[in-house]
Amino acid sequence: MVEYRIDRHSGVATYVQIVQQTKQALRLGLLRPGDRLPTAREVVEATAINPNTVLKAYRELEREGLVEARRGLGTFVRRALGAAPADSPLRTELEDWARRADAAGLEREDVAALFTAVLDKHFQGDPS
Amino acid sequence: MSALTLTAAPAGRPRQTRWLLRLHRPALYTWAVLWLALAALLLALDGPLLNAAAEGWRQVRNCGMTERCTYDQKAILRYKDYYNYATIALNVLPFLVAGWAGAALTGRELESGTARLAWTQATSPARWLAVRLAVPALGVTVCTGLLAWLHHRAWAAGQGRIDSAKDWYDRFTFHAGGPTLAAMALAGLAAGALAGLLLRRTLPALALGVLVAGGVRGLTELAMPHLWPAVTRLSTVDQGFLGKGLVVDQGMVTSSGAHVPPPPCDSNASCDAAYAHFTGRYNTYHPHSDLWGLQLTTAALTLAIAALLVTGCFLVLRRQTGTLRAARATA
Amino acid sequence: MSSDTALRADALAKRFGRRGGWALRDCAFRLPTGRVCAVVGPNGAGKSTLLSLAAGLTAPTEGDLAVLGTTPARARHRVGYVAQDKPLYPQLTVAETLRMGADLNPGRWDAELAGHVVEGLDPAARVRTLSGGQRTRVALALALGKRPELLLLDEPMADLDPLVRHELMGTLMGQAATHGTTIVLSSHVIAELEDSCDHLLLVAGGRVRLAGEIDELLAAHLRVSGAAATTDLGPHSVVESRVTGRQLTALIRPAGPLADDWRATAPTLEELVLAHLRGAGAPNPTEERAA
Repeated sequence: MVEYRIDRHSGVATYVQIVQQTKQALRLGLLRPGDRLPTAREVVEATAINPNTVLKAYRELEREGLVEARRGLGTFVRRALGAAPADSPLRTELEDWARRADAAGLEREDVAALFTAVLDKHFQGDPS
Repeated sequence: MSALTLTAAPAGRPRQTRWLLRLHRPALYTWAVLWLALAALLLALDGPLLNAAAEGWRQVRNCGMTERCTYDQKAILRYKDYYNYATIALNVLPFLVAGWAGAALTGRELESGTARLAWTQATSPARWLAVRLAVPALGVTVCTGLLAWLHHRAWAAGQGRIDSAKDWYDRFTFHAGGPTLAAMALAGLAAGALAGLLLRRTLPALALGVLVAGGVRGLTELAMPHLWPAVTRLSTVDQGFLGKGLVVDQGMVTSSGAHVPPPPCDSNASCDAAYAHFTGRYNTYHPHSDLWGLQLTTAALTLAIAALLVTGCFLVLRRQTGTLRAARATA
Repeated sequence: MSSDTALRADALAKRFGRRGGWALRDCAFRLPTGRVCAVVGPNGAGKSTLLSLAAGLTAPTEGDLAVLGTTPARARHRVGYVAQDKPLYPQLTVAETLRMGADLNPGRWDAELAGHVVEGLDPAARVRTLSGGQRTRVALALALGKRPELLLLDEPMADLDPLVRHELMGTLMGQAATHGTTIVLSSHVIAELEDSCDHLLLVAGGRVRLAGEIDELLAAHLRVSGAAATTDLGPHSVVESRVTGRQLTALIRPAGPLADDWRATAPTLEELVLAHLRGAGAPNPTEERAA
């Protein structure tokens, strides 16, 4: 089960935040195929956001084939995302890299800027 | 959504009465204590107080003209005082009802906004007001009706036994001892409710309620003698006015038979001169037998005014809340 | 009148007293059911008047307001309303107030939900002893307990601390999610409602300045900036424009492709609302939407 945390000041539309956080959970293996997403009611009671926003995010996820709505039962994960679960080799390498960056005296902002630049170069046009 | 539409038809009526009584519990208790005290006083005026005073008056009568006369003056005075207290208290009751209705029943609810709270439950403003008028009206009618009956009994028991007993047409006795009391209390209720609805403030509504009730009382007192056919008795000038009761009109009869007011005069001689050219006197009055006719017609007039005030209440409420408009639109 | 309309105003106007000023004038809008609608505007804009008209507490002076497809009076038992000052009977206890709600709304009352809203309050506490925030919760419990199809809340969150506000907003959104309850919330603080609402009614000076789905309204507007000397806003309808030094920034409703040298960004809801409040001269989009 995921718990969404809405950041009101991020400038990212609320439904996009839900989509992103769901994908994040899928990538990290926190959500696996067959898992049920929280119901709209559960999400809105915890976050006080509009129910239609949750439904819009779920529709988006469904459109991308990541989840499916089963009538009267809820919304379920159909497939996992990416090949980088929490304990994958890629993550280990990234952790190594971060340690080296830290050792080289880079600040958090420097690392983030570097990472974003590389990300932008290799993953152009991918919204998430 | 479908679950909601299924329950759209309300099952049963909102139970308002229970909450009206709960909200006005302090007033209810006060009223009960007041009622019990007055009822006890009136019963005493028909019992021990009366008997002691009657015995006093009997002693007075037996004294004859002797100089040394012992009689129970205390009992006589006590009866007189308590009779007056009870009578005045009964006369004041309608004003108490008016003040309470203006302040607590409608004024405060509109001032604090709780009326709006009530109107946004499944209760229409009109039904809200109907319950707020009907329930107190029932209580007020029964309570004041019983008190008026007790008062009349006490008054009647004193007739012939208490030499200083009030006449039936004494204005306070009249308005305390018959259906006019209940009618006046109902008019007070309506007057207060209307004041509260109009002013929407507690204290001003209290004042206006009492004021309007006072107006109603004044109007009924003015109209009362003319609501039932009076008796006219003619007499010679020397006989003085004939007939005892509530005087409607008195005066002189001229040689042509016309009725004119008595001429002003300030001494025996000037009066004799002024009266010389009249052929007689007339006295238009209500004898004791008119008591119930006057009581019932006065009560009817008061109730008619109360009905007007109640109509006014609903009109004011509908103008404010728009139920009238809605009813017209769907008619 | 279709049943998918929660509120529909036609030439709605309200004036207090014969010679008083107009609290509302020429209001026309439609609010579909199942929406959470923010009624936003400066203080004294007519928000409260609009809500009390919808609650059937006052009558319109002109025009017509349909509530859940019928008159406000007939919709009374299906509508919940919490006034700005949260009136309650001070002499009743919390438990008594809720019992009264049950008695006055027979056949609809949801004791469990009402109890949930006042959770943590002492049921035996008299209303007069409660704090402002606690009273708000009792008032909301009374309004939610009748399981309304339309819930009208006038500045509901003003005196609540952030934690309770978040919790109660969550409860409200839960109602909307489970029962499809239409919720109308008024506020003069836009940020308070931004995440919870999907529909906007912008009221100012007694008139509806903007009405519609927030997403559509945001999509229909653009925030553009460019050099003041060369920028021609031309065919676009300008909600508000400002020149700072050599730069011109404007909020527009684009009526065609934009010039290349402009930088265009999507406005936030707050920017949109403020721009419309400041630039009152823009054409009223409700007229286009009324259909």
